Amino acid sequence: MFKWLLSHQWKEMTRSNFWQKSLVINFIIGFLLLIMFSYLVLLGLFIDEILIDIYPDGDPFIIFNSGLLYYLGIDLFVRFFLYSLPVINIESYLHLPVKKSKIINFILLKSSLNIFNVLPLLVFIPFIFKVIVVDYSGSIAFSWIIVMLILILNNSFLLHYLKRRFIDKPAIIGIFALIIVVTMVLDKFDIIALSDLSSQIFVFLSNNPFYIIIPFLILILVYGINYSYLKSRMTIEDINVKKQKKIDSLSRIKYFDSFGDLGEMILLEIKLIWRNKRSRSIINMSPLFLLYGLLFYPNEDMQGLGFLIFVGIFMTGGIMFNYGQYMLSWESNYFDGIIANNIDFQKHFRAKYIMIISTVIISYILTIPYVYFGTKVLIINTATFLFNLGFLSFLLMYFSSSSRKRMDMSKSSVFNYQGLGASNWIMILPFFLLPILIWVPFNLLGIPHWGIGAIGFIGIVSLAFHKSLMKIVVKRFEEKKHLIAEGFREL
Amino acid sequence: MIEVKNLAKAYNGTIVLNIPELKIEKGESFGLVGNNGAGKTTFFRLILDLIKANKGEIYSQGIDVKKTTDWKSYTGSYIDEGFLIDFLTPEEYFDFIASVNNLSKGDVKKFLDQFGDFFNGEILGKKKYIRELSRGNKQKVGIAASLITDPEILVLDEPFASLDPSTQIRLKNLLKQLQQEKNVTMLISSHDLNHVTEVCERIVVLDKGNMIHDIKTSSDTLQELESYFAV
Repeated sequence: MFKWLLSHQWKEMTRSNFWQKSLVINFIIGFLLLIMFSYLVLLGLFIDEILIDIYPDGDPFIIFNSGLLYYLGIDLFVRFFLYSLPVINIESYLHLPVKKSKIINFILLKSSLNIFNVLPLLVFIPFIFKVIVVDYSGSIAFSWIIVMLILILNNSFLLHYLKRRFIDKPAIIGIFALIIVVTMVLDKFDIIALSDLSSQIFVFLSNNPFYIIIPFLILILVYGINYSYLKSRMTIEDINVKKQKKIDSLSRIKYFDSFGDLGEMILLEIKLIWRNKRSRSIINMSPLFLLYGLLFYPNEDMQGLGFLIFVGIFMTGGIMFNYGQYMLSWESNYFDGIIANNIDFQKHFRAKYIMIISTVIISYILTIPYVYFGTKVLIINTATFLFNLGFLSFLLMYFSSSSRKRMDMSKSSVFNYQGLGASNWIMILPFFLLPILIWVPFNLLGIPHWGIGAIGFIGIVSLAFHKSLMKIVVKRFEEKKHLIAEGFREL
Repeated sequence: MIEVKNLAKAYNGTIVLNIPELKIEKGESFGLVGNNGAGKTTFFRLILDLIKANKGEIYSQGIDVKKTTDWKSYTGSYIDEGFLIDFLTPEEYFDFIASVNNLSKGDVKKFLDQFGDFFNGEILGKKKYIRELSRGNKQKVGIAASLITDPEILVLDEPFASLDPSTQIRLKNLLKQLQQEKNVTMLISSHDLNHVTEVCERIVVLDKGNMIHDIKTSSDTLQELESYFAV
């Protein structure tokens, strides 16, 4: 049976039209991954020197260990947002004489085969050979890596449980992140000593391999929790119970009535986003886009205008990109209805445009406080805001007619979180680069500020021509609608 | 009302539909039968401009359906669940369809009041999204929505499939009533020869994309069709 499950999964993966249709994107993803891998290996090779640089009189092994507990916490946080849970459509297996335990074990096994479990090893392994084996001994190095492997798997399974449990409640993860940050700050001011504890634990475990049994037992416990959680949620009834949520009261919002059928279409977009798990996740992620500036603005080394333009585009447009690129795919379930019914496409797109500009305007207003880091930031954000509002919004809508891949929004049951991963971002990279490309020639001419102005200017000009731009968008849509519909009909 | 000229549709080089000529008059009830893969749904999708023909045209009241969208205002249709906006409640869906057709919420209410029997109390006021309904109930929502605009042409693909027996009978009566009282032009496909011969005055048999029979319904039609489909 395991063999069958494996082969079905393999077929599902290789036969998904994602692979065949976008070879270029596969290539780009592969290339970026390769670069990332080599950076990690390099980090592993030089981390001891970096550590000695920061703590000249410390032992790299001990310092490395002191950060591990924090690493595990942050890892859990990052995984929560970037890691897609393994999908296996259990309904097709439940009626067959297959033991449930087999299916569950398979799901869990599959979850452990993921990139987040490999990445840390790329750092750890060079570190082992360069530092631990040389400074200490081979046996210590061996116990240490075993502990690391157990902890990585532990995080992997723990996350698997937490994500299934709390996918709708990212606030819990926010609190978790806050606890990590607070602990780090307290640690920094020597109020608590979690880092010392961390290094003591891991040095002890490396020297006393017998006690590795403790993390191992924790691993088994976490696996068991996962197992029983999945087991209790494996019947079709459970899936259905999950589906029969109470209906919301969006329909009682009378505000949109005054806009006639356009208002009805806007309301439809809002319902679409709110009532489908898949689209709702962008709402959950929105705060992340807005906080992006905090990564860059306080950092003296990242004050280059090019950087700031990128940050500006990302912050004022992050939500727009997420909505815009799936604008039509999200409708794939009922796309035939959209084109067969007496729907005015001009209005249909105008409703979407109103959604887009609302997100851009709200994002812009919320990023105004970043003026704290200087008026430069505000000016750049204003320029990128205009560019998003007037230009990129139409570009996104124009290219939305290129979607051909069906997305199942309604399968929001326990076992389906497909496509909540990171790879979608690669698609829209060119959009981020565009404003920087506009700016670069001005920078080369020595008038970088004019470049910022040009970005804003293009935004304003395209805003002035929004009616004509909309016509181009709709015209392309009407030309492509048969192809889009055909793609969406393929299950 | 509907005129087909030299229509052909192929997928990957295989011709799935080939109709050199076909005319459907106003008020005619046109039944389409055929085995799986005969081209019934393809034909209906072409009429509704959901797919592109490789060759030929379809005219609705003299206008090529792929050139304008005017025909949408007098054409009601339901092909499959792909027409339903699944995250809406049935009420919201009817309101939406009415709204894009410039009907008021009052019109919708009046319209839905007539459907009490047809819905059999399972559709309205249930506080469920369409995606939570059973297949048969989804079908009822789709068929009702296709009628909301009081269409002159009605296109239904397999409307009887997955409906319960009572609803099948109600639907038959509803369709006959629409013919008699409103002279609606109907295009209906079905696997069920009984239903389609009962509702339609004219039956066309499709086989591998070709029209091989074009019969005016009489008391012998059912037998004729049964003998044709018998293996």
